[in-house]
Amino acid sequence: MLVGAVFLWLLVNGAFYYMSRVRPGAFDQRYARHILIGGGIVLPVVVLTVLLVWGLSMLPDPRRPGDGLVVRVTGEQWWWRVEYWPEGADAPVLTANEIRLPVGQRTEIHLTSDKVIHSFWIPALGGKMDMFPGRETMISLLPERPGTYRGQCAEFCGASHAWMAFAAVAMEPADFDRWLASEAADAVPPSTDAAARGARLFRSEGCGACHAVRGTENVGQVGPDLTHVGSRQTLGAGRLKVTIDDLSIWISHTDVLKPEVKMPTYDLEPDQLSDLAAYLEGLK
Amino acid sequence: MTDEHQPRRDEDQKEFAEEHASLFKITLGPLIWAAHFVACYGLVAVTCAKGWDIDAVRSGLLVASGAALVGIGWVGWVAWRQWNVAQTGDFVNRCGRAEDRHHFLGHAAFLLSIISAIGVVFVSLPLVLIGGCQ
Amino acid sequence: MTRPSGLPQPEGPYPPTDEMLAEPVPRDVQEAQASRLRAAWETPKGWRYITAVNNTEVGKWYCLTALVFMLLAGVMALIIRLQLAVPENDLVSADRFNQLFTMHGSAMMFLFAVPMFEAVSILLLPGMLGARDMPFPRLSAFGYWCFLIGGVFVIGSIFFDAAPRAGWFMYPPLATKDEGPGSDIWLLGLSFIEVASIAAAVELIVGTLKCRPPGMRVNIMPLYAWYVLVVGGMILFAFPPLIAGDFLFELERSFDWPFFDPTRGGDPMLWQHLFWIFGHPEVYIIFLPSIAIAAMVIPTVARRPIFGYSWIVLSAVGTGFLSFGLWVHHMFTTGLPSISLGFFSAASEAVVIPTGIQIFAFLATLMAGRVKMTLPMLWISGALAIFTMGGLTGVMLALAPFDFQAHDTYFIVAHLHYTLFGGMVFPVIAGVYYFFPFIQKKLMSDRLGKWAFWLTFSGFNLCFLPMHLTGLWGMPRRVYTYPGGLGWDWLNLISTVGAFVMAAGFATFVWDLIRPKHRQAQIPRNPWDGGTLEWTHDVPEEAWGVRSIPHVTTRYPLWDQPDMLTRLDAGRYYLPDAQEGKRETLVTSVIDAEPVQVQRVTGPTWITLWAAAFTGGAFIFPTFSWYTPAIISGALAICCIIWWLWTATAQVPEADSKDAGLGLRLPTYAAGPASVGWWAIWITMLGDATAFASLVFGFFFYWTASPDFPPDGAAHAVPGLIALAALAFAVNWALTVGARQLNRAGRVTPARICLIAAPAVAAAGAAALVGAVIDLEPASHVYPAILWALAIWIAVHSGAGVIMQLYCLAGSLFGKLTPRYDADIWNVSLFWHFVTISALVACAVLGLMPEAL
Repeated sequence: MLVGAVFLWLLVNGAFYYMSRVRPGAFDQRYARHILIGGGIVLPVVVLTVLLVWGLSMLPDPRRPGDGLVVRVTGEQWWWRVEYWPEGADAPVLTANEIRLPVGQRTEIHLTSDKVIHSFWIPALGGKMDMFPGRETMISLLPERPGTYRGQCAEFCGASHAWMAFAAVAMEPADFDRWLASEAADAVPPSTDAAARGARLFRSEGCGACHAVRGTENVGQVGPDLTHVGSRQTLGAGRLKVTIDDLSIWISHTDVLKPEVKMPTYDLEPDQLSDLAAYLEGLK
Repeated sequence: MTDEHQPRRDEDQKEFAEEHASLFKITLGPLIWAAHFVACYGLVAVTCAKGWDIDAVRSGLLVASGAALVGIGWVGWVAWRQWNVAQTGDFVNRCGRAEDRHHFLGHAAFLLSIISAIGVVFVSLPLVLIGGCQ
Repeated sequence: MTRPSGLPQPEGPYPPTDEMLAEPVPRDVQEAQASRLRAAWETPKGWRYITAVNNTEVGKWYCLTALVFMLLAGVMALIIRLQLAVPENDLVSADRFNQLFTMHGSAMMFLFAVPMFEAVSILLLPGMLGARDMPFPRLSAFGYWCFLIGGVFVIGSIFFDAAPRAGWFMYPPLATKDEGPGSDIWLLGLSFIEVASIAAAVELIVGTLKCRPPGMRVNIMPLYAWYVLVVGGMILFAFPPLIAGDFLFELERSFDWPFFDPTRGGDPMLWQHLFWIFGHPEVYIIFLPSIAIAAMVIPTVARRPIFGYSWIVLSAVGTGFLSFGLWVHHMFTTGLPSISLGFFSAASEAVVIPTGIQIFAFLATLMAGRVKMTLPMLWISGALAIFTMGGLTGVMLALAPFDFQAHDTYFIVAHLHYTLFGGMVFPVIAGVYYFFPFIQKKLMSDRLGKWAFWLTFSGFNLCFLPMHLTGLWGMPRRVYTYPGGLGWDWLNLISTVGAFVMAAGFATFVWDLIRPKHRQAQIPRNPWDGGTLEWTHDVPEEAWGVRSIPHVTTRYPLWDQPDMLTRLDAGRYYLPDAQEGKRETLVTSVIDAEPVQVQRVTGPTWITLWAAAFTGGAFIFPTFSWYTPAIISGALAICCIIWWLWTATAQVPEADSKDAGLGLRLPTYAAGPASVGWWAIWITMLGDATAFASLVFGFFFYWTASPDFPPDGAAHAVPGLIALAALAFAVNWALTVGARQLNRAGRVTPARICLIAAPAVAAAGAAALVGAVIDLEPASHVYPAILWALAIWIAVHSGAGVIMQLYCLAGSLFGKLTPRYDADIWNVSLFWHFVTISALVACAVLGLMPEAL
């Protein structure tokens, strides 16, 4: 398509340049008429018909039915709520800001939104599909090679639209099943003193009002589920890495890192910050 | 067609009535395209939203496409006769006489019917190539 | 059957014979005529200059204002590019960035591209048609002042950090839920400008249809006029859906009626449909007039008539139609059924064909001519190179599977700038260089022009060519910054450098345009050796437009009618004089341009300024929820408009007919279909009916999109009152038409009784309709809300109709409206034809549909 486009561009502009600059005299009117009919009607009709038939035949592909697994993604301002519904499951596995897909299987992604319109897009795996409040749309993806890809929101959705991304991880089916099982499990208890102090801070600072850590008394559903946040590729919907440093920066600078985000900035002592970060980083 | 004449109101109106048909003919081809397009889009949208029988609607719309093409063909034929290029040999109708205007309107309507026909064929392709509502 | 009014018919020889035209005009007669004409058309001096309404003045202001808005929006683009030059930049905040890109898009579209078409057309069209002025000069002036006030208001909001920030297509719920006045400024400010745009479109259509010079049949009008006709028609059908959408949107913002709120039955997709039904034709509304400029430049450059005149007409008309079948290609990723996407994909490919024909017709013209390269032609060549590129990426994007990837990325940003620069900016600049001698009687600099071209052209490509790649590599549009290391960094840096090179090009162009040219020699007349009528203009400039209105029999009269220019200058043709010292232009028949009337056109005035200021108040105050000042301002605007119409339109003439030159006597007054005013109302109401149809479409859209519409157990409108309303509107219509017929038949008293009864009945109908819905809770669900919206629409139109009926009654009482001079009541009954149909449809939707669905 690109080559064709370049060729046609050169053809038209070359002719134009030739007519206006190079050629000295006037052509016969009959040639001019041939140019008009040939270039204006015959050529485009042929080219466009071929392209159109080709394009139409591929059009339904992104919405072919999947092989069983359904991932339900809800766009929030500005992060992704993710639920995995394996075939026949009664309750979903809840997570956030990361999509994992088995290679070689077509997975249906059911999309909806909380407040405003977003658009779900993993450039390397397929096209995009908009997410509407009060309506469900669907796109199905068939990853062919394992790997980590970047996904992001493509429809302007407010101040931090630029920072609404996620990691998409395509895994071998066996790895995927193992991962899903561990993701379904409750959070691991803190393993170090620092992490234990962090867990207490998590409770006392009220983090649990918005964030759930399954297996603890923190059950908030306003923000992303943090049960396994330590095992994710990114923090803050693609904003930072999940390291103790980045976690500390995030907690103390949300408004800078993600303008107008709902999560308040926490003004904690440095050692408190590092304790909290250690706890979260340990939630593998 | 007569040559230019004095602008008396009754003649003006008679001439307008006569060329009214020509002006209408110019837009008739595209209007058939537009009606066909709206029918395709509207019917398919409602069918998919309300879960009606999409296959029956597709076949029905293809029949409508055929009818639209016949209609455009007729407009094109009438316009071709009005253009009358075979007899006048005049492709450009650039003079200021009444018959030039008459031929010109035929020519424009003829060309527009070609475009409209291509448009109808293109818009019918999805009916053939795409199966369901997905 | 309507009785004839008894006004005289045109009398005398037509068309003029060669002997008549060859007879010289005595020199003293020539001079006396010229001085009277000059006095009648004199432009006001000093501070009264702003009261001017002549198309040359208003057109100039319009162009310059649009240019200033364009430059401001361009500066915003530079800030955007600076912010994006490097990853994680913090030059501007996210909020400020979002305001900037929203305002850049909105201003370029609504304050530059569309107004520029109208500005250029108002400035040039009368010249091309050998007319003295537009048919309604005060309407152009009113439109201009509305544009200026609305534009300053909208673009000014960015300086107060209060600008809209939801993107130029304002998708709800983001835009409806946005706090602060930004969205309201966008909605009300731009609605105000859209109304002005429609006014200009009406005027341009009527000007093209009724103000051509005698003999200029439709097959020989300049191509520019054909494009104006097509584009004017497109504006009438494209803008009203957006106005209807704005109406619903503002009702949601102000009163929380949930048209786009999915929690209460609304649907954000309705806005997308209404916006893009406007938005895609709008692209062609921008593109076609600019191509029309190319269609004027190319024959001059090729020194031969355009090749394939009918083909270009076909392409303009065909594009006009097809462009209404493309809107969903902006919505390919919204999850509509594939087969529906297929229709729009197909139509988007089909529209390429007429566009291609246009380009090949230009190519063929150059082929068949002997090309003389000029500066305007250089810009046209640049336009072609850029536009074909944009067109080819457009062909790719029309294929839905490709669009699934490219949609909402920088690929789209590149594509749309290629089409708009190639299809609008470059041809318009070519037009500025080409028509500058027509406007200012000076030439622009060849050297600066070449510099400007090469800077703009290379800067443009440096800026936007890499964006194709940026987009394909996954960078979405409308991000205020981006993380580094994704391969986007250097591409963005190149784009930023390109943007500044381009800005240097624009700066050069603008300097060339505004630099003082006092010492520069005046141009000779017709410096490019063009063939169309605008080049008959006098050097040095005369405000009268043409000395006398010629009889035209060819497409390029200056090439093909060798004696025309001298005869025109001598005042040999029509209307060479202004005996009564009044401004006049010639009205001709629609198809063959036979002279039918001498039309008085209006002169300088303050009233249009006042009317625009108060109309502005009526739109701007609600932005801040100041409803009382808004209502007062609206009432004052209505008073100003009534005063303006009463004192300046459809005046009883001092004589029923007058000598138009060459022995032809033409009537000076016309009513009904013979008058320009009637055509203007007809065309306006066509647009108005489209807006109403969009609201009705909304009703059915909710039914399609939602399984429970109307919801079970919902309260409906009161059927008895709706029946009463329908009856009242039917009776009101009969009374209005009856008044017109009785008045024409000379039975003035019964006509006045009808005109007293009709407003009462119409008001009762509107009251019954509102009464039928008054108990419904519009904020509770979209069903009662849309019923309310339909009722309000009809009630407001009835209010306008009642004022018009009373205006006619007053006219009848004070001798402005008589059985012989009855244009006003013809126009009013035409208005009521449309409103009655709308009202009956509304009654059917309110009363019958809940049962049927």
